[in-house]
Amino acid sequence: MQRFTPARRLLSEFKCSLRRQRRCFSQVAPNVVDNNDGFGPKIPSFDYSPPPYTGPSADEILSKRKEYLSPAMFTLYSKPLNIVDGRMQYLFDDKGRRYLDAFGGIATVCCGHCHPDVVEAIVNQTKRLQHSTILYLNHAIADFAEALANKLPGNLKVVFFTNSGTEANELAMMIARLYTGCHDIISVRNAYHGNASGTMGATAQSIWKFNVIQSGVHHAVNPDPYRGVFGSDGEKYARDVEDLIQFGTSGNIAGFISEAIQGVGGIIELAPGYLPAVYSTIKKAGGLCIADEVQAGFARTGSLFWGFENHGVVPDIVTMAKGIGNGIPLGAVVTTPEIAAVLTRRSYFNTFGGNPVCTTAGLAVLKVIEKEKLQENAFVVGTYLKERLTALKDKYELIGDVRGRGLMLGVELVSDEKLKTPAKLETLHIMDQMKEMGVLVGKGGFYGNVFRITPPLCFTKEDADFLVDAMDHIIARM
Amino acid sequence: MAMLQRRILKSTLEEAKARFNFNWYPILSPCASFSTLPSSSTTATAHDHVPPHLPPFDYQPKPYNGPSADEILAKRKRFLGPSLFYYYQKPLNIVEGKMQYLYDESGRRYLDAFAGIVTVSCGHCHPEILNAIVEQSKLLQHATTIYLHHAIADFAEALAFKMPGNLKVVYFVNSGSEANELAMLMARLYTGSLGMISLRNAYHGGSSSTIGLTALNTWKYPIPEGEIHHVMNPDPFRGVFGSDATRYAKEVQDHIEYGTSGKVAGFIAETIQGVGGAVELAPGYLKQVYDIVRKAGGVCIADEVQTGFGRTGSHYWGFETQGVIPDIVTMAKGIGNGLPLGAVVTTPEIASVMAQKIQFNTFGGNPVCSAGGLAVLRVIDKEKRQAHCADVGSHLIGRLRSLQDKHDIIGDVRGRGLMVGIELVTDRKEKTPAKAETAILFEKMRELGVLVGKGGLHGNVFRIKPPMCFSKDDADFLVDALDYAMSKL
Repeated sequence: MQRFTPARRLLSEFKCSLRRQRRCFSQVAPNVVDNNDGFGPKIPSFDYSPPPYTGPSADEILSKRKEYLSPAMFTLYSKPLNIVDGRMQYLFDDKGRRYLDAFGGIATVCCGHCHPDVVEAIVNQTKRLQHSTILYLNHAIADFAEALANKLPGNLKVVFFTNSGTEANELAMMIARLYTGCHDIISVRNAYHGNASGTMGATAQSIWKFNVIQSGVHHAVNPDPYRGVFGSDGEKYARDVEDLIQFGTSGNIAGFISEAIQGVGGIIELAPGYLPAVYSTIKKAGGLCIADEVQAGFARTGSLFWGFENHGVVPDIVTMAKGIGNGIPLGAVVTTPEIAAVLTRRSYFNTFGGNPVCTTAGLAVLKVIEKEKLQENAFVVGTYLKERLTALKDKYELIGDVRGRGLMLGVELVSDEKLKTPAKLETLHIMDQMKEMGVLVGKGGFYGNVFRITPPLCFTKEDADFLVDAMDHIIARM
Repeated sequence: MAMLQRRILKSTLEEAKARFNFNWYPILSPCASFSTLPSSSTTATAHDHVPPHLPPFDYQPKPYNGPSADEILAKRKRFLGPSLFYYYQKPLNIVEGKMQYLYDESGRRYLDAFAGIVTVSCGHCHPEILNAIVEQSKLLQHATTIYLHHAIADFAEALAFKMPGNLKVVYFVNSGSEANELAMLMARLYTGSLGMISLRNAYHGGSSSTIGLTALNTWKYPIPEGEIHHVMNPDPFRGVFGSDATRYAKEVQDHIEYGTSGKVAGFIAETIQGVGGAVELAPGYLKQVYDIVRKAGGVCIADEVQTGFGRTGSHYWGFETQGVIPDIVTMAKGIGNGLPLGAVVTTPEIASVMAQKIQFNTFGGNPVCSAGGLAVLRVIDKEKRQAHCADVGSHLIGRLRSLQDKHDIIGDVRGRGLMVGIELVTDRKEKTPAKAETAILFEKMRELGVLVGKGGLHGNVFRIKPPMCFSKDDADFLVDALDYAMSKL
């Protein structure tokens, strides 16, 4: 780790003040280290030291990735980060440097990296029985299914376990199509639901859609309060769904699928009033309403446990993944007994789905969320963080919008506040600089100009301050 | 008086004989058909009277204090839906596993001859794999590939080294279905064609697209599948052309020439069909079909979800037994000894088409599963599991073939290494599937302490695909148990 002498500090400060007038993207703030006395905001203290890392270097890994992994596999940052250890809301690189994880492995690590209760559950179960399939009984799957069902409103109490969000959404779409006997499904532009054939159709951003047949999906106008043509008038947007059905389908459809807050799409919270209006339209057309809770679920929105609850609706099918297992490969579909019965027509089987280790981890996650009051924390810290970010927005024209709920927040950067021109390059630069300062955020939005802040739910106010201060510090020097 | 006594004695003896006569028609448990079986003309052996014993095993399972089987079943019915089926009339509550054995709630040990559906490749809770998983779970479970991590890179490299030809770009996913979905996407993108060809009786997944490739009505929901052609299954036992690969291959040619534009996206097959009942494709089939498909511009996909990782004994990969090199290989199940993990390996050329857009898998290639996967590869090599499968497998198949000579109900014994199938028929000529008998024997085997699998469209095939640490003693026990159960039928 580098240490800074007072002289170097003064020198860099001087350099920075010269640069303030220029719009260039060269190195700005000096490296901020864990317990430094250097310039810039400090990462909150944390009592944990990772074991020393003796594995392959970043360069070695990069060259192996180039040779043996997908050529389309991307990394964040101009100099990719070699992350080797994680503890609660922090990650450690190969040099032992600590970073604030404000992205949560893409809204996935909800309790915290290597949370002791979750790790204990995983380790104990792995030592006993990793896998046997549901052909035999095991209490873990039954206990977790019960606990999960108890978290859902209405008659949503039959659970199907899968291994990912994509698998969960694929199953949900198939169930809707089988139940209704119709093929058409409506999703929202800018949505992300997965990468397999059905879900690729529901996903609505060209960068994620390959040139293959994706049939039976219609994409509705996105009820985007910031960029959408109707602003925050949810009901106006809902009329587009009605039109899609009346003019683009037989009048009867299989269903509607949406996220309560679009994740990959840039933390866009659906305009208020949209979902209730759309759900009503869908029901009239005989369709089922699917709520994709892969990112917004599991207490992340703070105010309520599920994202859809914030919109005052009760879906027919709920899909989940990511946070459900704090990072273990697990997904689930929950629906009513009536709808679930369609799968009895033939056999649906998922070999790994519902295995003892993953379901034990899932149950541990639910217990941690309750015991540590993570939903409340997400609300309190999230509200605080959003306030601070909003203050930052008032300070800098570069920040076009601050939105989201709880610990699912987005910061959209624009180079022109009126035209809302996406500030793509600035976003990349700031993101890189944030990493240099010790904060890891995510990126999203169709234009790649939105910071996605979806940390582990144990994120504190001090962490929030550090994040905002770092951002402030960096933007001030641009 | 003496004559009366003799008459009584005689009738008693006759009664006793009738009770223990092998020509006895027992009252079977309530099943659909009540086929009667021809009597075994051979003499009874020791195995027929005394149930065989499990080989000894030096391990004590932990005491189980959790919910009972009944409690679990009630919860399952309520919270997991009516479509979630299970084995056995009185389902088994499996709470612990060690190597090739499983333990129920009372601590009773069973020989696991099915490995959680060909998934536990090295053995339940294998110490080396366990260690890799536990150590990595303590460091970092998940961060995604947007950051670097050595585990995914090391595992991809090790896996690529196991592949022939130019197969060296690895995509990690979370299941076999996801892997086959991705393979199908690659084939269609690379060729620009739509048509996929798969074999009747194949199983490739349960997701909405892979259901199209799957060709067994049990698993196919009535949904649109896109352009998929199901060709005649080169099934040496039931196929109309027997083992004549050329005749079956010609059928593929016909499908292409009459049913498509002449160009196809690809062809996918398991070398030994798993769910379909351990059916080994007629020898020489894949070589001919691969040729035909490639001439039609298509790519060849080998589904190694069940046959991979040394299970066939003679080779590491199933497709190697047919002397071909595919363009895409998919794998899952045994790859992680039970970890939710799948992979697709292909050539850099085909991989490059995937670079047109972004395709991202959040959980795929996570540190824990990658560490586990790498440990599996090492264990298979270190413990020489492939050679072991060849050795024990041939012993097992040999003994089963002898059993086939003894019991008419065994219509076919097939497979390779530790991927074995036993097809039961009520009539050897007609090959009528012995569904009811299979169900009964299946239950009986469980009672004797052997957990096998079931497959085939008619559910009349025993699938024997144990963890690859299965020993000759285990094989003997399995065969003896089967012998015993069949003799009592």
